[in-house]
Amino acid sequence: MFNCKDSIDSLLPFLEGEMSPEEEEHLRVHLNGCPPCVEFVRTYRATSGLCRKALVKSMPPEVAGRLRAFLRAKLETK
Amino acid sequence: MTDVTVQDDRELLARAQAGDMSAFEALVARHEDKVYGLALRMTRSEADAAEITQDTFLSAYQHLAEFRGEAAFGSWVHRIAANNALMRLRRQKVLDIVSDDLAGPEFTDRGSLAEPPESDWSRRADDQLLDEELGRAIQVATDALPKGYREVFLLKDVEGLSYEEISEMVGISVPAVKSRLHRARLALREAIDAFYKEV
Repeated sequence: MFNCKDSIDSLLPFLEGEMSPEEEEHLRVHLNGCPPCVEFVRTYRATSGLCRKALVKSMPPEVAGRLRAFLRAKLETK
Repeated sequence: MTDVTVQDDRELLARAQAGDMSAFEALVARHEDKVYGLALRMTRSEADAAEITQDTFLSAYQHLAEFRGEAAFGSWVHRIAANNALMRLRRQKVLDIVSDDLAGPEFTDRGSLAEPPESDWSRRADDQLLDEELGRAIQVATDALPKGYREVFLLKDVEGLSYEEISEMVGISVPAVKSRLHRARLALREAIDAFYKEV
């Protein structure tokens, strides 16, 4: 029988489908009776997507200009 | 990346391999944001990110003839950029903090969650626009991750590299990559939860 800690410790293999059927059954039984862990699983899954959005970076135009000038100078000498 | 983009890349790549500089420049223009973004996220230095981007595309050009196109051009330059960024971080010998400093959920003696999540904010991930304050909180939390954990999290969850690629690049086993990824996700989840507690 899993408790909250066992469930959270096994989230990554669970989400990647790498748990044994027996362990997965233990986890499902726990989740069925533990709403806080269900919310935890949902928010754990959502974390990567939110981080991806937050960490998007575009190249500033002046850096892009310097990159093109650098590559032209390097490649023309080849 | 869409199939159309990959197809366009293949055409540009074939022309670049035949010596068409403008085709190579078009490939650079298509992928420079992603490469620069990866380098900036990894190094947190605009100067380093600009240099890594230059080195990455120069290296890609120098090895164009060897690129057979089994993978997409974008994935290939992404891996070159990740390797360049990791090498630069290794040279800088940034001190790593022990993983005990990582935040995560707390449990009672019986292994129950000591504090249930603030609310189910998972649906916010589907919103097109991210709250600016939340974006800053995530940036701060990512920057605060110990280096070895930040690298793995960025390479897997943001850049989309495989466990095997990360294992090879970082020099740790696949189970160790997964362990670090899980701890990093827990710490970032905690930071986002704390953000929603405050608003």
